[in-house]
Amino acid sequence: MAVTQDDIVKKGDIKPWKFKLKPVFMGMLTLLVIMATARWYQQWAAWDYGLDATDPLFDEYWMKLFWVQITVLPIIFIVSVSYMWLTRDKHLNNITPREDLNRMIFWISMLIVYAFAFYFAGSLYAEQDATWHQTVVRDTSFTPSHIFLFYGTMPIFIIIGFNLFFYAITRLPFFAKKISIPLIVTVCGPFMLLPTVGYNEWGHAFWLMEEYFTVPLHWGFVFFGWSIIALAGLLIQIMNYLIELMPKVFSEKGELMS
Amino acid sequence: MSLNTNEAKLLSALTTRGSDAAKIARGLDFIVIAILFFAIIAALHIHMMLTVGDWDFWVDWKDRMNWVTLTPMLLIVIPAALSYPFMEKFGLPIAGTLCGLCLLIGVWLSRYFSFHLWTYFPMSMVWPSIVIPGLLLMDLVYLLSRNLFATAIFGGGSVAFAFAPANWPILAPYHVPVIHMDQVVNVADLIGYTFTRTATPEYLRMIERGTLRTFGGESTIISTFFSAFVCMVLFVIWWKIGKWLTHLGRVPNVLKKHVGYDEHDVLEEK
Repeated sequence: MAVTQDDIVKKGDIKPWKFKLKPVFMGMLTLLVIMATARWYQQWAAWDYGLDATDPLFDEYWMKLFWVQITVLPIIFIVSVSYMWLTRDKHLNNITPREDLNRMIFWISMLIVYAFAFYFAGSLYAEQDATWHQTVVRDTSFTPSHIFLFYGTMPIFIIIGFNLFFYAITRLPFFAKKISIPLIVTVCGPFMLLPTVGYNEWGHAFWLMEEYFTVPLHWGFVFFGWSIIALAGLLIQIMNYLIELMPKVFSEKGELMS
Repeated sequence: MSLNTNEAKLLSALTTRGSDAAKIARGLDFIVIAILFFAIIAALHIHMMLTVGDWDFWVDWKDRMNWVTLTPMLLIVIPAALSYPFMEKFGLPIAGTLCGLCLLIGVWLSRYFSFHLWTYFPMSMVWPSIVIPGLLLMDLVYLLSRNLFATAIFGGGSVAFAFAPANWPILAPYHVPVIHMDQVVNVADLIGYTFTRTATPEYLRMIERGTLRTFGGESTIISTFFSAFVCMVLFVIWWKIGKWLTHLGRVPNVLKKHVGYDEHDVLEEK
């Protein structure tokens, strides 16, 4: 009797294909819990303790939170990126096509988590800042909306973006041999939103601009937001690579060969 | 267009019903959709809120001149840029509609959870502009013409031409004149006076310009035509930018020796 693909898979010669989506769901769930908790905290503490930055209660309920965020998040950034680099694959030249495909698809799926994190920074928490400032005049750079937007959601998507970048250049042959410019733009463009915060806050303090949200001072955020268009270029590069890679892994009938 | 051996083999693998290759390809479709969904919401929303946001946030800012002129101009930017990869690389004339849908979802979540639940503005004051009809027409023209310049002229123009009519049914009741403190204002203005915001003085300075305070309808038509002309130009510019961003390529990695590659490996790839 002829040996079928199923027999080979059953015997363990070829591991059956399975999408590793658990990290994606865990990542999205974690983000959702963090963002929902942050939103709940705003609802609870913003109106009672967040109206006046000179109030001792503001220190108690908001500035402590700010210091925790800007201490913990940079540590997570350094530790996670260092981990990515130190645990890199030092023999990428010997990687099998099957392993390359596994890692590539895992990495692409993790882009969902990156995009999800960018959603909170670029959409929900960003526009929330407008309604807060239109209701409660900003007194300093630290407001209940800024503390989560600039020092919470933005560092979070930057951490995820840089981890994905370092994963790509240390574990994926396609990105390790040559660095993708769309990948750099997709990761570094949104990262530049953070330095723009510095200019933005300086501008608000210097020109006392508080009248409306579309002031030219804010356009730096728009410029770097455009960088996400490069994501399309990145996806096309990946698709082209998969067109080369997949025939090394699958037979003409679409069965796994390794 | 002819396929090389690898491509032909892959096509055969992908079209074999129930095969692993077909499952992966379908799985990848859903992954890419999820990535694009969140990324487009974020990118388009931050772009819109910081360029024409104030006109979109508040019903009393939805005036006859600035709102009608600026919103389509800024709205077309990212859909035009994404039209290139979607249509030219994937054969999908859906960039405009997808962008409109993503923006709508992002904006409604924001208006409800932030503007309404956090700062207590009524939803009747903070509803977002309706943007899908114009973008849908843009996609339709691209699908039918498959031509950049035809899409720019008719599709880009339609983003602006459809904007005011699409929003008029929901906006019209707010433009009914009322007497408030012996002054003729409209319902939207009255709501704006009731819910004063830090931008209210700036808004009042803006609307005192030109004919924005009149109840005449010609401002809307003039603004729409001007906006449509700019949209046509912007469609071409941003389509080209989308093309450029799609073809950015790769550069040598100076760190590659740390992951097991040498110059030979990269040359071999070439």
